[in-house]
Amino acid sequence: MRIKAFAERNIKELLRDPLSYLFCLGFPVVMLVLMTIINKSIPPQAGMTVFRIDNLCAGITVFGLTFLMLFAALLTSKDRTSSFLMRLYASPMTAVDFIAGYYIPLIILAVIQCVITFGVSFVIAVIEGVSLNVGNILLAIVTLIPSIIMFIGFGLFFGGMFSQNAAPGLCSAIISAASILGGIWMDVDAIGGAIETICKVLPFYHSVNAARCAVDGNVGDGVTSILIVSAYMVVVTVLAIVVFRKNMSSDNK
Amino acid sequence: MEAIAIKALTKKYKDFTAVDALDLTIGKGELFGLLGVNGAGKTTTIKMLSCLSKPTSGKAEVMGFDIVEKSDEVKKVISISTQETAVAPNLTVRENLEFIAKVYGIENPKAAADKIIAEFSLQEKENSRTKTLSGGWQRKVSIAMALITSPQVLFLDEPTLGLDVLARRELWKVIEQLKSKMTIILTTHYLEEAEALCDRIAIMTHGKLRAVGTADELMKLAGKDNFEDAFVEIAERSGN
Repeated sequence: MRIKAFAERNIKELLRDPLSYLFCLGFPVVMLVLMTIINKSIPPQAGMTVFRIDNLCAGITVFGLTFLMLFAALLTSKDRTSSFLMRLYASPMTAVDFIAGYYIPLIILAVIQCVITFGVSFVIAVIEGVSLNVGNILLAIVTLIPSIIMFIGFGLFFGGMFSQNAAPGLCSAIISAASILGGIWMDVDAIGGAIETICKVLPFYHSVNAARCAVDGNVGDGVTSILIVSAYMVVVTVLAIVVFRKNMSSDNK
Repeated sequence: MEAIAIKALTKKYKDFTAVDALDLTIGKGELFGLLGVNGAGKTTTIKMLSCLSKPTSGKAEVMGFDIVEKSDEVKKVISISTQETAVAPNLTVRENLEFIAKVYGIENPKAAADKIIAEFSLQEKENSRTKTLSGGWQRKVSIAMALITSPQVLFLDEPTLGLDVLARRELWKVIEQLKSKMTIILTTHYLEEAEALCDRIAIMTHGKLRAVGTADELMKLAGKDNFEDAFVEIAERSGN
């Protein structure tokens, strides 16, 4: 009952903020269309396929998830700044109620976002005459579940640790890192060297790679990536929970 | 019977003692005022009693439940209205009220919201998002949220801070209506507020309790014929 009530409240707070629509749902779609147009202007002789819709859709979906992290951070840091959370800390709500109440609506929003981004990708693929398999897309959404939980965890961690002004800035750094080092706009495997090593140590490349393998119908090739992202997911989630529990006592402020 | 029993309650932050060996009892149905200048320890005391902060030493019981060992039980019988307005800004007034009712497991949240909306005359704003309301209305909603759970003990931490005179008087009426229905602990900077509303008043400075009594008793104790002079005298006696 308490989890449901808090989750409902959070989903209303998120959906009544027009920025949620704009960034979480609209921005990935705009990027898909824009990159498809750019891809059309690249001569075939260049042999560059990174912007082709079947390669692009997984990366853009992960890119969209990074904005969800930003909204998780904004929601929690705003709640902390106001006295709203203090009122709830003095209520019968437990740490589990709070954490589940934050995670559930954000996971729902993330899945909707993935469905919309892949759905639009499918339409573009049909228009462009590129083959995209619906079953593989569904599998790709499943492979993104650890990434969804990880990005929400990042958001809750930053929102719990930092102020309403600092948290979005730190999230922007993660968004940039995910975008550049995730292999969304470039072929990381072709780069090699230190950059490739850095990309592969961080989870963002693996988020994209796992979904990309699934879209290509080779989900087995992405198992290592799924495991790496899952490990990050566990660490980030634990950190977010620890920070939240600490915040529940005003002694730690 | 006592609603709150405090024995040698102390809160230290490293070298700073925010509350120093506080001894106090507050009766059931009493409207009790905690008065003091900034840093006197009022809010820290409220935070400890509402289980938001753990005491460094000493003991306190709220409605017979120890604030450390039985904090879950304490949280079921108390409600707090904080210094700042504590509302969900994108939720309407009704949604805020129903949300709190659900958090406290009230069986029919809609009926509970209907009742409190009528009691607080919130009908004209019930479907407005709280972020669109004025400071006075937001504070009124914040207190209504604290009351929808029918708490046995209500903590009002500087409820009229930052409100204009009219909004403040409006809230005074609300608080007066609550008298004897529940135990209320009110902290305030406004001396006239404490004098007008409270059954008994405690004066704190530097984390210590300096005097407790009715407004008349405190004036008598200080040898002054108005409450403000009495407060200044008691506070200065303690070296403030």
